[in-house]
Amino acid sequence: MNEIEQILAEQERQAATEAPKFTVSEFTELLNGTLEYAYTGVMVEGEVTSFKVNQGKWVFFDLKDEGGSINCFMPLFQLRLPLEDGMKVVVKATPKLTKWGRFSLTVKQILPVGEGNIKKSFEFLKKKLEQEGLFDVSRKRPIPEDLVKIGVISSTQAAGYVDFCKIINERWGGLEIQVAHTMVQGLAAAEQIISAIKYFNEKAEVQIIAIMRGGGSADDLAVFNDEALVRAIAESRIPIITGIGHEVDESLADLAADIRASTPSNVAEMLTNEKQAEIQRIKFNVNGVGNKILQEIEQAREGGKTKIKMVGEAVNMKISHLENEIKVKQKVLEGLNPDTILKQGYALVTGKLKEGEMVEIATYESKAKAEIKEVKKRIK
Amino acid sequence: MEKETINQKIERLDEVVDWFYGENFDLAKATDKYAEAAKLAKEIEKDLDSLKNEISVIQKDFTKN
Repeated sequence: MNEIEQILAEQERQAATEAPKFTVSEFTELLNGTLEYAYTGVMVEGEVTSFKVNQGKWVFFDLKDEGGSINCFMPLFQLRLPLEDGMKVVVKATPKLTKWGRFSLTVKQILPVGEGNIKKSFEFLKKKLEQEGLFDVSRKRPIPEDLVKIGVISSTQAAGYVDFCKIINERWGGLEIQVAHTMVQGLAAAEQIISAIKYFNEKAEVQIIAIMRGGGSADDLAVFNDEALVRAIAESRIPIITGIGHEVDESLADLAADIRASTPSNVAEMLTNEKQAEIQRIKFNVNGVGNKILQEIEQAREGGKTKIKMVGEAVNMKISHLENEIKVKQKVLEGLNPDTILKQGYALVTGKLKEGEMVEIATYESKAKAEIKEVKKRIK
Repeated sequence: MEKETINQKIERLDEVVDWFYGENFDLAKATDKYAEAAKLAKEIEKDLDSLKNEISVIQKDFTKN
């Protein structure tokens, strides 16, 4: 061994004695600590293979692409979608070295990738939540009356949010709108939206919560089919309106919400009246009331005229009745007048009806005196 | 007393209007009621033209869980 080789050997010996020594457990722990620090919540996309559930509690599968494969593990209760081999997914996970020396990802969340997988996952979860009654019509609450305070959950950079603000400002005034800025796509979005729903339910005095995002691909909107988010919407103490994607897009969040608007702009339209239309309605009503007063006055006037006419008619009838009575009485009186009887050819004899006595005889035209020659009893 | 909102004013106006078509209508009181309705309508129109919405972003950062 030459001098240089001796120096190198000495350096190697010194390095070996100075390098830290670990037990296997300690080293595993150190590695896990380093991995957790360096890769907290890493996202990995790949295809699912060797999917299996052990003891009804633990989910194992491999995530692979053309360049490699990683073992994945998660508790079954955290699995929110139907997983099967061949499915393309993106997972949020923490890398870990097991005590048996196997490297794996401890998965916290999985989202399907690709239209076919998203649809399959959607239908599975829809059926499950439907059976639990989360979408029942009986659960739906209407938009509160006298709406003043609105909570909005959206990305303030999203075009849909901008549309919402524009439309609501054009339509109505005096509203207090509190906005929770969250992501509206990607794996982290569901937790953020859930956190915002909790915030509004616990800390803010809003009357309704609007969850919004504009249109996007099926991947972009997949977050609104997240089971935990759908449950948070269904459990919200405050009514929730959704305006997600375009008119044709339907998410499980829409189904669980109290009210579904087709777009963020439509949320603004459903929450408010159009102020010009409201002003027209008010003017129409007040004018209607003015006309009603005129109508009532006219009716009262007509009513007065009718009553005066009725009184006049009653008085006339009474007068006519009295006139008839007088006429009848006049006829009776006329019948009792002696001249009327004399006119009929009768004569009035005054004096004593006794032989030799003088009596006076009066007819209608003349008077005469006569002596009584004989008095006899009249035969009746 | 809390300030009456636009919606509360509209509700009050609708109640006044309903009075004209209800059983309690009284022609003797109608002109006063009409004046009340016309005043409310003007106030509401003015409010709707002038009131702006207050939009504020909550300070809590929901992007950091």
